[in-house]
Formats: sequence, C-alpha cells, structure tokens
Amino acid sequence: MNRGNAGRRRTLSSWPAWTLVIVAAFLLVVVGGSRDRGPLSQQERIEQIGRRIACPTCAGESISVSRATAALSIRSEIARQVIDGQRSDDEIVGYIVSRFGGEVLLVPRASGVDALVWALPVAVAVLLVAGLAFAFVRWRRQPGAPGAAPRVPRWVTVSVVGAVVVVASASGWWVARESGQRLPGQTLSGGIADSTATLLSQARALGAGDVTAAIELYGRVLEIDPDNVEAITYRAWLVSLSARNFERALRMQAYQAAVAAFGRAIELDPTYADAICFLGIIVYRDGDDAPSALEFLDRCLASAPPAEVRTLVTSLRDEVAAAVGE
Amino acid sequence: MTSTEGSATRVTRRRLGAVGAALVFVALAVWVLASAGRDDATARSPLLGQPAPAVVTTTTDSASFDLARRKGSWVVLNFFNSTCVPCIAEHPALVSFVGREALRADGAEFYSVINDDSDTAVEDFFARRGGDWPRLRDDDGAIAVAFGVAKVPETWVIDPNGFVRLRILGAVNEGDLESRLDVLRGEQ
Repeated sequence: MNRGNAGRRRTLSSWPAWTLVIVAAFLLVVVGGSRDRGPLSQQERIEQIGRRIACPTCAGESISVSRATAALSIRSEIARQVIDGQRSDDEIVGYIVSRFGGEVLLVPRASGVDALVWALPVAVAVLLVAGLAFAFVRWRRQPGAPGAAPRVPRWVTVSVVGAVVVVASASGWWVARESGQRLPGQTLSGGIADSTATLLSQARALGAGDVTAAIELYGRVLEIDPDNVEAITYRAWLVSLSARNFERALRMQAYQAAVAAFGRAIELDPTYADAICFLGIIVYRDGDDAPSALEFLDRCLASAPPAEVRTLVTSLRDEVAAAVGE
Repeated sequence: MTSTEGSATRVTRRRLGAVGAALVFVALAVWVLASAGRDDATARSPLLGQPAPAVVTTTTDSASFDLARRKGSWVVLNFFNSTCVPCIAEHPALVSFVGREALRADGAEFYSVINDDSDTAVEDFFARRGGDWPRLRDDDGAIAVAFGVAKVPETWVIDPNGFVRLRILGAVNEGDLESRLDVLRGEQ
C-alpha cells in the first residue's frame, strides 16, 4: 500500500517535468523546421521553386525534372524572375498559379478546398483518439465493472465532446496553415489587381461613358508611372473632348495642353499610333490647321492604328484632304 | 424511460447517423463528378476577365510588337507549332477567319505566337499553307507562360479594352472562332 502511494507520488511529481520536456521538444522541432535557412544560391532557388510546381502536360512530374516544352518554359520564367530579384519564392509560385491555375501546385494550398487535404486527416485522428478514450471510459463505468464511477452529468459529456471537436478543428487548421502552400495574399494573380495594366483597362472600359472617372484613373496611372504613354495620350484626349463644351479661352488652353501631351507621348514612343492620330484630329478640329492635320493623319494611318482609332481617322482624313484642296 | 423506449431511441439515432453519413458521401460524390465534368474546349483560366499579360516581342519580320499598343482592336493570339497536327488541321479555318475579319471595320487583329519552333520552319509552314498575318517570336516561352499555355494549339481573344475574354483549347473549327467573337462583340 505504502509502496503504491509512493509510486503514485513519484508519477505525480514527475509529470510536469515530462510535459515540459515534450512541449520543449515539440517547439524545437517546429522552430527548427520553419526557421529561415538564410540565402540560397540562385540555382538552388530555381530548383526549390521548380519542385513546388507540377509540369502541366505530364503526370505527376515536377517541372524540375520534366523535359516537356511547357515545363522548360516555366523553368525559364522562374529563372528570369529569380535573376530579376524582384519577387520572393512565394510570389513567383503565385505568378505561375495565376497563369496555369492551382492544379500546377505539387503541395496543396492552405486555403479553400485544398486545405481539407491537410486538415481532414488530423481532425479525424484527433476525433478517433478522443472516441477511443471515451469508449474506454464508458467500459470502465459499466455497472459491476471494477472501479465503476458514478454516472457523469449530460452537460459534462456535451462539453467534452464540444472541446474535442474544437481541438480537432483547430489542429486541422493549424496543420493546414503550417504545411500548405501560402501564396502572397492568396490572390489569383499575385497582385495584378493593383497594377497599372488593370487601371488602364478599367479607364478604357469607362471611356467616354464616364469621362471624369476615366480621367481620374489615367491620373492614378501617371502617379505610379509618369511616363506611361497610353495614360498620357488618353488622358489628354478625354480632357480635350470634354473641353469642347467650354468657352473658347478654356478650349484653347485645353488644346495647347493636349498638343503638349501628345507631343510628349510621341517623343517617348514614336511608334505609338494613337497619339499621332489624336494629334491629327485635334490639330484639325481645335487648331484649324488642315495641312498639319493631314500630315499627322497620314502618319497615323501608316502606323497601323487599332480598329477604333482607324475608324475615327479614315473618315476624317477625306474631310481634311478636301479642306487642303487635295 | 423504459428499456424498450431507450433501445428505440438508440436505433433512431443510429439510423439518423447512417442517413447523415450517406448524405455527406452523396454530396462529396456529386461535387467530385461536377468538378470532373467542367473540362471543356473553352477552358477556364485565372486570366479570363483580367487585363491581358504584357506581350512585348518581335515578329518573324523583325518588326516590334507590343500587345498594350493594340488596345482599340479585338486581338486574337493563336499559340502554335508548325509540327503539331491539330495546328495543321486548324490552319485552313484560321486563314478563312482572318480573310473575313479583314473585311470588317472592327475586324480582329490576328497573330500567331510561335511555340518551341524555329523562324525557318514557321515561314516554310506559312509559305506552303497560306496565311499572311504576323508571327510573334516567343523564344524563351515567356508569352506562353504568361498566358498559361501548356499545349498548342491554343487561342486567346483580348477585347479592345485590353481584357482577356476567351480561351479556346485545341484546334479551332471553321466558323467557331468567328461566332464566339461575334457573341463577345455583342456584349461589348
């Protein structure tokens, strides 16, 4: 009896120490496994990223081993971005996923349906262990069983079951979070939403329908990229179009500003047909200078303008040519 | 509660559990089947509805090409390779498509993007099979990756505002591209 009590005391006095050892070992494993291993060589980075991405035309092969054209192209793109040094590994993987979709990820993601791959086994394991423990306790409490305990109130059972479910869900979430791929912001495009390309396309889509909003969007592009030729050109074009309803002095002011803006756009990109075309149009409409306008419109048509601009210019050119007496 | 009532309750609970498990299984099966059935010729892509990726390259005539400068036109990019059988099969349909588009004021601009092929082979392909539209170089596959192209042929449509509107996997059939483009033009 005394020996039994002493043994129980020893067990009771040593369990905090054992718990501490287990917790410390667990923390060391977690910290050791997740710590930053410092800078890798560029080739190592390319290989490491390549191992996270599946070849889109092969079965179960990563792009780091595949020789398929698509795999080689993706490897080249990864190498280019690594050498460029602008994006982190996760951002590069995010870029590839934004183009090919989540199917190319060899390691499932920590979000969405993919996360179930990580979370479900852990949650089920926790539930099974808890279920076993519950079953053992019930067996011990069978009437007549040795050491049978009094019946446990229902609220205690409900609380225990609730706690087990919470622990299972939390464990699954934690494993998914730690093991799944986490791409920057989990956006499809890796930040495309904030790019000037998006703002420019949105501004174009607004176009003449909401001139003020479109001008504002072009202005935002110019805040990010002051030399953006498309924004310079279309902002000036929309401003000059809206100024046509103003009095002459304001109209002339807008005209001069537009000429300067188109001139700057052409200087930045002499092949940009839209700026040359718009310059020809406003020089004729607002500047009353038909000979100069004809010269710009001919240059415009020779620069292969896009369909929308070509349609505007083709009909106007005949009118300008007639005014010049051609 | 009598022992008969207790056992009846247990049986009801077990039945409810079995029905619940069966429902979960059926829901999962339906979801898996529905996901498998979504692979059609007009493929999903994260790029649909997004601004088109930047494409700056040269043509086989060494002229410069910048996709951003083609805003204001519908643009069709056809990724191809001169040795791929579906590319050869779809070529006559593309030739007639480009011919019809050239007659329209808002006709689409058509470009072939060379995928893993040489300029010489491509020029020879066009000399033998016809077609007089620009061929864009993609020597390191950057354009293919930017569009998520894994296999050729693949055809993409970009609207005049620069948004990606359509992706067609595999060979294009006669009249198919035009009818899809007409639908998009109607929505614009």
